[in-house]
Amino acid sequence: MIHVDAICKKFRGRPAVADVSFQVGKGEIFGLLGHNGAGKSTTFGIALGHVRADSGSVTINGHDVAKARSPALARVGAIFETPAFYDYLSGWRNLRFFVSLGGGAPRSRMEEVVRLVGLEERIHDAVRTYSHGMRQRLALAQALLPDPEVVLLDEPTEGLDPEGIHEIRRLIQKLRAEHGMTVILSSHLLHEVEQLCDRVAILHRGSLVFCGRWQDAGPGGSRWKIDTPDLEKCPAALQGLGATVLDGGTLSLPESLDPSTVVAALVAAGVRIRGFRKQVCTLEDFYLERAG
Amino acid sequence: MRLFLAQFRGELFKLFARKRTYIGFGAFLGVEMLMLFLLNLERVRQGIARVIEAAGYPAEAYLSGLTLAFLILLSSVFLLGSLYLALVAGDVVGKEVEDGTLRMMLCRPVSRTRILALKLGAVLVYSLVLTWFVASTALVVGLLHSGAGGLFVFAPMEKVFALYDFGPGLVRYTLGVVFLSLSLLTIPAIGFFLSCLDMKPAAAAIGTLSFLFMDSILRNVPFFESLKPWFVTSHMSAWVRIFEYQIPWERMAEDYAWLLALNATLVVLAHAVFQQRDFKA
Repeated sequence: MIHVDAICKKFRGRPAVADVSFQVGKGEIFGLLGHNGAGKSTTFGIALGHVRADSGSVTINGHDVAKARSPALARVGAIFETPAFYDYLSGWRNLRFFVSLGGGAPRSRMEEVVRLVGLEERIHDAVRTYSHGMRQRLALAQALLPDPEVVLLDEPTEGLDPEGIHEIRRLIQKLRAEHGMTVILSSHLLHEVEQLCDRVAILHRGSLVFCGRWQDAGPGGSRWKIDTPDLEKCPAALQGLGATVLDGGTLSLPESLDPSTVVAALVAAGVRIRGFRKQVCTLEDFYLERAG
Repeated sequence: MRLFLAQFRGELFKLFARKRTYIGFGAFLGVEMLMLFLLNLERVRQGIARVIEAAGYPAEAYLSGLTLAFLILLSSVFLLGSLYLALVAGDVVGKEVEDGTLRMMLCRPVSRTRILALKLGAVLVYSLVLTWFVASTALVVGLLHSGAGGLFVFAPMEKVFALYDFGPGLVRYTLGVVFLSLSLLTIPAIGFFLSCLDMKPAAAAIGTLSFLFMDSILRNVPFFESLKPWFVTSHMSAWVRIFEYQIPWERMAEDYAWLLALNATLVVLAHAVFQQRDFKA
């Protein structure tokens, strides 16, 4: 569905993205992660034809965005971190204008989308009276109006309150479940990405440092945290079991090793154990390990 | 074509829904009232009457609404028109880039060429509407104040001096406004070009005004008489020649071909720049 193929872009000689490639399949929710300035927005910009890549290409539904904007973006919706509207026009007028650029939409469709994002009561008010959250909803409405197959969401929850973030998350899940929509999402809220995305790509200083299912990309085996005053005795106690002691009282156990065997070996060696618990690797840990 | 027209309607709606779009209209109305007040002063009327009578014509017959309308156009439209046309044209792309709305537009499946065509079309329509508004209100205000009568044309810069009865005068006035509208299209063309460059909208408007005013200043330096054909404002003032007894059509065609070539070049350059630009937050 979306092929990002070796895109490179420099701004004033400084690389913004360098040889970034990934693919996103139909119906997938794909996360694009990275620090500020890592190249996420440039990647989005190239995917939408706002930014010209120095080399490489982005194809959507088989159409190269740089060479055939209109067919490539025909079923694409997008929103940005800071959605911009004509403040002096109503939300409804804004939607009408933006949708007219893609061929228009019937009134019923517009009303349906306005209801979906929960703006029906304020849609005829001037956008300058909208809160940030309402602007985000309006942005989402304009992205969904052309009934897109692909939605690019650059920081869609930026500035929203917890309830708003929850609603956006539910909406994204609903869109995928009911319409099979493909979503590329960038967010600094790693907890959100963790809950939503099937796969992630991590950009660091313009380069792709990871792409795939982060859950499968760990070192293998499991990690356990041990709380003991006898940490120095552990390596000797675990010799021969295949387990290793890492920094800060973390034990790395191979897949085949039962944790109870480890505890038994430690107790037998006179190690006093106050606590022993499995360490759960979060996306945040994974992300910081690669891009921190 | 239907889609283009629908999009164009949207672009025009955007332009004319903005309050600042109307500043120019209001300012011109104010200037017209002020000029009418000043032209009503006895010593000013006497000055005009002296020039008409010196040519052997009765002053009362030519101190009319048509003459007042022409005077308002001749003296105000270039300076004030430049200001408001430059402001709107400088905004048309630059402001949308600055506000981020252009990026929103570029999310839709529409080519950059079409977006540019819509914006160019809107700013040209604004220019025409403003020119005809000024010309119409000047005529209405003049006629209400001084009534119908002959047209007295005195434009020393363009060396035009002529007197017409009301009927032929009105025809010349209408033709004059047609050519004035064409002349003034050069202002949005310059503003539009600058607006497409990577600069603030205010800078585009100031750049346009600076260029036009410098051009006009240099054109009026007596020693640069032989260089006049190279100044844009020389060609822009060709509309006044429509008031000559024998209209120099050939010379006017040359002037407007020159302006057309300039405007077309600016649009092509604007398109080339716009196509290559990156639009980022």
